[in-house]
Amino acid sequence: MSEFYEGMAEIFEVNVNQISSDFDLHGADAPWDSLAIVSTIALVDDCFNIMLDGQSLTACNFVSDIEALISSVKSA
Amino acid sequence: MKNFAKIIDIAGYLPKNTLTNSILGDLYKGWSADKIFEKTGISTRHIAGPEETAGDLAYEAAETLFAQGRANKADVDFLIFCTQAPDYILPTTACILQNRLQLSTSIGAVDINLGCSGYVYSLSLAKGLIESGAARSVLILTADTYSKYINPLDKSVRTIFGDGASATIVQGVESTKPLIGPFIFGTDGSGANNLIVPGGLFRLPSSGKTSQIIEDESGNARSADDLYMNGAEVMSFSLREVPKAINNLLEKSGLSKESIDFFVLHQANRFMLQALSKKMKLKEDRLPILMENCGNTVSSSIPLAMLTMQNRGDFQAEKQLMLVGFGVGYSWAACLLTY
Repeated sequence: MSEFYEGMAEIFEVNVNQISSDFDLHGADAPWDSLAIVSTIALVDDCFNIMLDGQSLTACNFVSDIEALISSVKSA
Repeated sequence: MKNFAKIIDIAGYLPKNTLTNSILGDLYKGWSADKIFEKTGISTRHIAGPEETAGDLAYEAAETLFAQGRANKADVDFLIFCTQAPDYILPTTACILQNRLQLSTSIGAVDINLGCSGYVYSLSLAKGLIESGAARSVLILTADTYSKYINPLDKSVRTIFGDGASATIVQGVESTKPLIGPFIFGTDGSGANNLIVPGGLFRLPSSGKTSQIIEDESGNARSADDLYMNGAEVMSFSLREVPKAINNLLEKSGLSKESIDFFVLHQANRFMLQALSKKMKLKEDRLPILMENCGNTVSSSIPLAMLTMQNRGDFQAEKQLMLVGFGVGYSWAACLLTY
């Protein structure tokens, strides 16, 4: 998961230590906008070889929601 | 020896007006010029003037091609014009270009409406015309003015797209092997709504309603008469289909990835090309990113990238290229090219 967290930190331009499952995607430092979502699609594809759809990602509120999406695609 | 289609020469044209990151940075809150460059890999886009059309840009590219001296107007017997911004609903812009360029009235001339995949499709049509004996010298023109469809306050597309044109002359030459092809094609119209100008024609004619500007959750403003791109879905599509098309073409041609000198992909934006390059395990020296000074020029992006490569000496010896166009439609195509 660390490569994923490192990527998320780059997307949100924060220190990797700040990224955890509880990280609020709509927090003050985090513009969960179309650019962040596009970047996350590429990151998840790179880290897990999994393609998430934009609509599901848009609905995420926390990093844990993205992790749950990854798990659900993995187990599908 | 057989008669095979070959690209003889390429030229490009970019309109004179420019749109820089500092102009955009001043306009979009929270987006500095540096951030725009970092995310898109684009410094400058060229923008057609208010009265400058895709037909005008194509005309300039064609005149530049003929001035280079490797193609003669008198030899052209077919004109393909690829655009999504024709001068008129009718007549066909290619017919107007035949007259403006003073080409023979004995030529065939067609417009094809494709975006980022359009150059590869145009090459496939030119190859078919030449190798079937229907034509000997095909002029392919590509040009688009997406800037005219873009709302100035929509940073999701205004930071990426630039206007531009290219001209390519394809002729039959004696060769022991094909110089263009094989091809892989793909179409998935289920993605049509993800890159679209919804209003303005017959499905949704322009009206007071379609011109109403709405701001989305990312703060981008547009109306139904403007270009809309769902960046997330277009990214998913590209990461899904482009590597598949490349692998399918390698399999079809019996070539290995290592035997291709350059993979010239549609120059969508740096971020997408870097993601594709990482996924395909190809470094930038073989998958060039050449859009810093023009942005995403739609169907002209592949020939303009090839032109930059040609000017910097990448093609001094004959090279094996794979061209891959992908985007609006969804439509995609890939082909091999000896150049």
